[in-house]
Amino acid sequence: MSKKEEQPDRLRQFISWVDGDREPKDRTLFVMEQRPHRDFRPSEEEFERREKDRLRKFFNWYPIAAAVICVALGIILFTTVMNMPGFGQEDNPINNEVAERYLKRSEEETGSENVVTAMIIGYRGFDTLGESCVLFLAVSAVMILLLRDRKNTSEHELQQMEREETAAQGRSDLILKQVAWVLLPFIFLFAIYVLLNGETSPGGGFSGGTILGAGLILFSAAFGHGHMRVLMNQRRYSAVRTFGLLLYAVLYGVYIFIGANGLPNYLTGMILLIDLAVGLVVACTVYGFYALFSRGEI
Amino acid sequence: MIVLEYILLVGVIVCAIAAPLCKRLLASVIVYMALSLMMAVLWSLLQSPDLAITEAAVGAGVTSILFFLTLKKIHALKGTRDE
Repeated sequence: MSKKEEQPDRLRQFISWVDGDREPKDRTLFVMEQRPHRDFRPSEEEFERREKDRLRKFFNWYPIAAAVICVALGIILFTTVMNMPGFGQEDNPINNEVAERYLKRSEEETGSENVVTAMIIGYRGFDTLGESCVLFLAVSAVMILLLRDRKNTSEHELQQMEREETAAQGRSDLILKQVAWVLLPFIFLFAIYVLLNGETSPGGGFSGGTILGAGLILFSAAFGHGHMRVLMNQRRYSAVRTFGLLLYAVLYGVYIFIGANGLPNYLTGMILLIDLAVGLVVACTVYGFYALFSRGEI
Repeated sequence: MIVLEYILLVGVIVCAIAAPLCKRLLASVIVYMALSLMMAVLWSLLQSPDLAITEAAVGAGVTSILFFLTLKKIHALKGTRDE
């Protein structure tokens, strides 16, 4: 009896619930059925005993499961490698007409002597644009999580950081400073060389940018945050980073429109400029990770 | 050259096995760094200098620095002050 009476009522309630904000017929808002709050709490010992039991079971099974997964993965990988064509043989599937064309005509088509750079920046430039975007977004995400500003830093933390900084200046490492003093010019020189010579010799945007970023990290670690602030503050950092990505996007857009599809390549310095843009983005990414992880600010 | 390649390959495998088995985290990171360095030399022996430069800079340099930073943050390095 009561069920039959209940059902249409429930149905109506349900319909009004689906309809959303419309007020139900009986003028009471539909709320989820409230169950009595479960107040079951095992005693402390019972809880501990259970926890130990669970832990013991876990540690019994864990090595077995790990070993099984490792062996299975190893077998899969080894069979895959065994079935792969041998290294450096002539009839490998990678030695097809695409590779031949890259090797033979990359110089006249992209204007770069180094085939790797021609491929990364020229033929596959769109991929590299995506990679640069990934790096850019990664730094942005780290910034969102770790950047300190007035809203998420308390007075106490700020004071503690200042104390640490003065303490670090007091016991600065002499060896590190002297070695950095000698090495830094060469590191920066090498970075710029690799960056600008990507067309003709091994290197290019990614490696040059990473070396540049590593040099910045060494500078920052050896001479402290204060000196780094003179060279690069947050506004300048963001400007350089965005400029790199925008330069790449614009240049590659132009490149696609006038250089691709067999048309003659009108812009000779294109590869160099794109390399420079990639290098800026990568260097900023590498240094940004270091700075944000260690101090929480650029 | 072939002998050097084999030595490096054995070194890479030994490092790859040793890195997760090290008890101390710092030693683990340093072994990993050594692996990257040997890999970089291997790349250049395999005639891909582009990759060698990148591996040396990223694998041996920047990644290790980030690992060291993490160890310092969680106070796992000896000689850093615990507060």
